[in-house]
Amino acid sequence: MRGVLRRLGPLLGLAALCAILGTLSNRFLTVDNLINVFRQSSVNALLSLGQLVVIITAGIDLSAGSILGLSCVVSALLLKWGVPPAVSLLGALALGSALGATNGVLLTKLRLPHPFIPTLGMMNVARGFALVISGGFPISELPSGFRFWGAGSLAGIPAPVIVVAVSCVLFHVFLTRTTAGRDVYAIGGNPVAARLSGVPVDARLILVYALSGLMAGAGAIVLAGRMNSGFPLAGTGAELDAIAAVIIGGASFFGGAGTVGGTLLGALIMGVLRNGLNLMNVNAYWQTIVIGGVIVVAVWVDAVRKRAEERRPK
Amino acid sequence: MNLLELNGITKSFSGVPVLDHVDLEVRAGEIHALAGENGAGKSTLMNIVSGVTPADSGQMLWEGRPVRVRSPRDAMNLGISFVHQELALVPQLSAAENVFLGRHPSARGWVRWSEIHDRASELFQSLGSPIDPRVRVADLSLATRQLIEIARGLAFGARLIIMDEPTAPLTDQDAGCLFRTIGNLRERGVGVIYISHRLKEIFRIADRVTVMRDGRRVLTEDCARMSEDAIVRAMVGVELKERLEGRPASDAKDTEAIRIEGPVDITVHHGEIVGLAGLAGAGRTKLLEWIFGTGRNHAGRIFVNGREVAIRTPIDAIRHGIALVADDRKTKGLVLNASLRDNIALAGSRDVFIHAAQETRAAARLAGELRIKYAGLDQAVQYLSGGNQQKAVLAKWLFAGARIFLLDEPTRGIDVRSKAEIYDLVRALAHDGAAVLMASSEHEELLGLADRILVMHRGRIAGGLAHDEATEERIVRLATGGVN
Repeated sequence: MRGVLRRLGPLLGLAALCAILGTLSNRFLTVDNLINVFRQSSVNALLSLGQLVVIITAGIDLSAGSILGLSCVVSALLLKWGVPPAVSLLGALALGSALGATNGVLLTKLRLPHPFIPTLGMMNVARGFALVISGGFPISELPSGFRFWGAGSLAGIPAPVIVVAVSCVLFHVFLTRTTAGRDVYAIGGNPVAARLSGVPVDARLILVYALSGLMAGAGAIVLAGRMNSGFPLAGTGAELDAIAAVIIGGASFFGGAGTVGGTLLGALIMGVLRNGLNLMNVNAYWQTIVIGGVIVVAVWVDAVRKRAEERRPK
Repeated sequence: MNLLELNGITKSFSGVPVLDHVDLEVRAGEIHALAGENGAGKSTLMNIVSGVTPADSGQMLWEGRPVRVRSPRDAMNLGISFVHQELALVPQLSAAENVFLGRHPSARGWVRWSEIHDRASELFQSLGSPIDPRVRVADLSLATRQLIEIARGLAFGARLIIMDEPTAPLTDQDAGCLFRTIGNLRERGVGVIYISHRLKEIFRIADRVTVMRDGRRVLTEDCARMSEDAIVRAMVGVELKERLEGRPASDAKDTEAIRIEGPVDITVHHGEIVGLAGLAGAGRTKLLEWIFGTGRNHAGRIFVNGREVAIRTPIDAIRHGIALVADDRKTKGLVLNASLRDNIALAGSRDVFIHAAQETRAAARLAGELRIKYAGLDQAVQYLSGGNQQKAVLAKWLFAGARIFLLDEPTRGIDVRSKAEIYDLVRALAHDGAAVLMASSEHEELLGLADRILVMHRGRIAGGLAHDEATEERIVRLATGGVN
């Protein structure tokens, strides 16, 4: 019963939020606007999926936003050099994965004390390279074959939304149907027991950080396509929004718990909140303040819930 | 007059009696040794004296007056100080700061550093150890850290200091220093309760000795009137339960399952149960974890089924059919917030995709065979009882197809019925031809289960006892550094 409540918590939160915004603004509950919300949430949703697998291992990836920025710039540059869109796209994904895997290698092979350290380093290094390569200027006017992934649509459904949906399915299968996915939960739940049960802990950690990097690359494609440019400061602070979405979605910072469904809801709650505040003409400065409060309250709820579970073991 | 007097202290944990009307008298200026096997109730008794655990019934007198000690702070205010096995110091702070931790001499919120350093320095001097009060505790040896804990007790006016196996982690030289400090305490008129397994130490420093067994006091006597043999007999008891009767014939075969060569030499055959005895800190856990591939920098070779194998990680060990049931199932054995099914399947499933139906069937079958009491396979294992958790660990290794079982204190902290079930299970494993190397501090269970018992002392095998020649007294003698 409590398991159901835990799963439904974010959904109820989203429903309540939509109901409130629907009454406050008559433009909120329209098909166009809801599609808009999905589109606006897509980059955050992609980063959140990567962040989710990292957080399940009780880790954190601070570099996702910067990897997104660098991937944006690199894919745009490749396009400028006349590389076909498909290759440029794969280049962004490969670069993201490689940088993420580097985080994992630094964490496990150098035995750095906490993932905060390698990913904080990577956050600065990747952003720095994005600025160096681009000279600090956006690289704009991208070919339409590439822009499709950010701005196009298929049968009325925006392409980024399709990318998110497919990614969600893949991540869900990974986490629930593969032994590697179960290992990820086991590592977050008890890394010592996982290691003593033969879980290849280092390899799994490298994999989850690579996945987080991969999703940053995917986010870069969507964002560059939508903005029709590779912007070196793209994704600044985006990792923090992703972390917030994962935590709001019911994952635990303590590791061992978290679902794709919850994370998607977390990303939507943040998207709906931003969209609703926009519709009500709340200025951007105040939006930041409101979202900050929502994050703290959501994590507080997580902690209270955890304490309550520990108090009532049966 | 006695400094401390206990009358009829009784305590049980969840229905299991641990202390049964225990009396104890400690005089001022006396070194009072407390001896007994693991589980005899020494630690529980000391926890009651120092306010960590409340007694169910019984009376405590301090300098002849009845007192109630409800918390460690109460005990401290009376003048009772506990030097813990795991030292309660803050390694990043200086020696002097640790002595006055929580009670820095201060003036209007400003710490008076000169006073702290002077007073700590004085204390160290008076204990015969001129430690620099400014040095960080992290840079000090274990023996010096113990001295700081003793100094902390004295700084708060301790009149009775309890030491729980203080020499267990110490070298002989450091132990010598500690004994001098303890002698110094006696001269100051401080009473010392000294818990130790090491009989030689007891005769070296203690004035009187109290022996406990099965939650009762067996005797209190002047050390001058005791012999090592007399203490061992008192610890073990004359009415040794004959668990050897009704023990099935050994299933040991001639084929060797695992052989260790190096600092320790051990061979376990298929179908054989080899017991590993020794005191806490003798190196049993380290040995088992090293075999399983967790340690580093250990010289030694491992042979499985006669062939040398390289085991660098637990993954290698599992591939060779080795299982480790670790000494602490909560931190090393189970993913507590994961389900029973996932825990059982964790070590054995290495395909890319989870075969959910197959796993569920196997987990249900194993849970049934091992008589695990559970609400559902999706139930998180943290909600299972200790005995059922331990069975879940065993189920995990059965699922993984292990043939060599390294068991480290497999019945620690579980109820009697589960213990018996785990004994049956260990016997069944051997009967099926599995090899079992089982470390245990409960000599009875080694005597009852093992075909052979190896006794460890300070990281080495002190001796081996065949099933027929093994007695509790012989184990204790080897484990405490005596000769066979």
